[in-house]
Amino acid sequence: MAGVRLEGIYKKYPGSDKASVTDVNLDIKDKEFLVLVGPSGCGKSTTLRMIAGLEEISEGKLFIGDRLVNDVAPKDRDIAMVFQSYALYPHMNVYQNMAFGLKLRKFKKADIDKRVREAAKILDIEHLLDRKPKALSGGQRQRVALGRAIVREPQVFLMDEPLSNLDAKLRGQMRAEISKLTKRLETTTIYVTHDQIEAMTMGDRIVVMKDGFIQQTASPEELYNHPVNIFVAGFIGAPSMNFISGTLTEQGGALRFKASGVDVVVPEGKAATLRSKGYIGKEVILGIRPEDLHEEPVFLEASPQTIVNANVEVAENLGHEMYLYLNGIGTDTVIARVDGRAGVRDGVSVKLALDMNKVHLFDKATELNIFEN
Amino acid sequence: MTKKSVIIKYQKIIIINIIFYILWRYVTCAAKGRRKPLTLVEIGDREMSTTDWLKPLQHILNCPVQVVTKSMLEWSDLLRDAEAVWLGEKKDQPPTEGQRAEKNGMTWIVTASNDYSVELLEINNPSLSVTEKELISWTLKRGRSDLTQLKAAALSETERNALKLSEWIQKQLEADEPAYSLPDHLTVGSRLFNEMIPFLLVTEQSNTKQAVYTELEKLLHSFLSEDVLLIPLKSQEWLIWGPLSLLRDEDSDTFDDQEEETIEDSLASIGSGLHEMLASEWIGECHLAVTHPTTPAKGIVETTILLRETINLGRKFHVGTNIHLPWMLQLERLLNAIPEAQRSKYLEQSLKRADLFVESEMLSTLETFFTLDCNVSETAKKLYIHRNTLLYRLDKLKQETGLDVRQFRDAVLVKIILLLYKVTKRN
Repeated sequence: MAGVRLEGIYKKYPGSDKASVTDVNLDIKDKEFLVLVGPSGCGKSTTLRMIAGLEEISEGKLFIGDRLVNDVAPKDRDIAMVFQSYALYPHMNVYQNMAFGLKLRKFKKADIDKRVREAAKILDIEHLLDRKPKALSGGQRQRVALGRAIVREPQVFLMDEPLSNLDAKLRGQMRAEISKLTKRLETTTIYVTHDQIEAMTMGDRIVVMKDGFIQQTASPEELYNHPVNIFVAGFIGAPSMNFISGTLTEQGGALRFKASGVDVVVPEGKAATLRSKGYIGKEVILGIRPEDLHEEPVFLEASPQTIVNANVEVAENLGHEMYLYLNGIGTDTVIARVDGRAGVRDGVSVKLALDMNKVHLFDKATELNIFEN
Repeated sequence: MTKKSVIIKYQKIIIINIIFYILWRYVTCAAKGRRKPLTLVEIGDREMSTTDWLKPLQHILNCPVQVVTKSMLEWSDLLRDAEAVWLGEKKDQPPTEGQRAEKNGMTWIVTASNDYSVELLEINNPSLSVTEKELISWTLKRGRSDLTQLKAAALSETERNALKLSEWIQKQLEADEPAYSLPDHLTVGSRLFNEMIPFLLVTEQSNTKQAVYTELEKLLHSFLSEDVLLIPLKSQEWLIWGPLSLLRDEDSDTFDDQEEETIEDSLASIGSGLHEMLASEWIGECHLAVTHPTTPAKGIVETTILLRETINLGRKFHVGTNIHLPWMLQLERLLNAIPEAQRSKYLEQSLKRADLFVESEMLSTLETFFTLDCNVSETAKKLYIHRNTLLYRLDKLKQETGLDVRQFRDAVLVKIILLLYKVTKRN
């Protein structure tokens, strides 16, 4: 097994002025599960394809272990890939599909057999070894594709949206299985997805990308709780963070955040930072996650200085929780996630308290998190 | 042992090593640079020419050294009259590299031979030690075995035939009135009269990673079958003919018995598998086109034209796609025939809101919607969005552009706009 190091990696396509991937620096540790996440066109797949050797690196250095692999062919990089558009070899059965790569590398028959059967056991496809791909379901095919990668016992697994062709239920199942599998195999894994739930649930660390640039690299908890900018804050979390544009004002010895329908006190700890950074009287953007808006009476009583009034446009009851789509807090719709037993209905007025200790404040011009930069 | 004798001993070792290196360079470079057996006459075009190694060798041995050619008869006479002869293990066979004869202080060592003559290294040095002579013989002998291997690897009979075929195809493709059937001398027995599956492969790697015929041929034999025909066309472009047996599947069970697999489905699936294998096990990024089986002897030119056009259209209209199928590119072929100026004009007139088609969300929505035959439920499912969200997006498109993709007429227009937009945007 080995780590992967990217040093100042750029990708520029001929005829294009702008780089698709700009100055990517990453040190992926041995056995780490790293997720590259971002909207389509952010450069995450291009980065992965450069690691795989399917795209040439325009600038920078790529190391797998201690070996510089910029000019090493994909087959010689000791990696195994599972891509969204994976294709099984249709004329071969499952066993042959899994064994082919090893056969090419001149492994002994007994070794091939051992590896294929072990991988089949791990993936629970032992009973399918004689079947051809067309006689398999989508989930079974996905397992074979994974099996083909596993038998190679590579230094690094590269996966590009491997679950996107599966239905939602199977996707959830396979997500858990891949996590379990990579932990069991202790292989460094780089996983690309546009789905932040996959990223949050699978990654040891997550790299959030936008327009070819890395926005933030951190653990799921760190990303969720300490996003460095508005993009990361909005991208991670579902439903996503609410953003309210307003002004910071000193009033009666307290720092207040004021916006349309909002006048709340900023806790002293945060206020001190804002004062020291010269944000008093300036416009900022307040970010609050849906679960940090509370309608419980206990919370309302405890936080009288952070209460806002809102109208419920739509109340979506998911059973265990409820999403309230609210207007009257700032200019845009705000979403609150409350207890499923709250019994709120469409069209009613509600009082909610903002948990100001959990809010984030962003610089309006730079969109950077004032507390994290 | 005196200090002087030690110095002389080490000097000799160094000299022997240098001789070994020079001769080694000679035989290996000659082997790599050539594909035909060595002869003296042709020595001038070698990667390492005679002057490259002869002068240094003369300098090291401190005596005249030259390359001479003798007839087989002269060589036999030399062996008969020689004071000392070393023929190695192949005493009764034609001359082989490293064999040597000595007479009157002269040493002759075989460097190459053919049916009529022998190429010899002639060294005029009576004090040449036995070790030095043996070392030169051993180097030349060893070089021969490497040369044999290199020659065998360099150009197999199959590759020579494939190159001839390639040359003929290229000529037809450039001709005003191409011949569509292969001439008899190129049909190589009956093999090309069998129906086969044609693929066109275009690799996309820098010059440092040039594909090698033998490597690819071996890989295809392992993956498809021994019955594969590989023809190199332009640089990094390969025509591959696979056996028809790939389509005949004894195991006819399918996961979903309702869906009968068409020949196009099977071909697409074989193409995808082949592409996956080539990308991960061989060269990385590449494009592959596949079409219906045909007989190479009759359809090789037409098929090459079709597959080339398919790859060009696929790369132009579907960036990011690597497997291109002619039956999926019919509309693209038609649009490609429209002159550039007219295409741009049409696009300009049709697009009231160009920015809407730039939005990646709208683009992926429409592409999925068209791929799933304008089925709203299936599209919503595929995109992991609520049906109402999809309807909202389609309504927004209708509101902004006046085109309702749920109507057949408008769906066709939007599909054309999308295809044209992708091409013009890139231009």
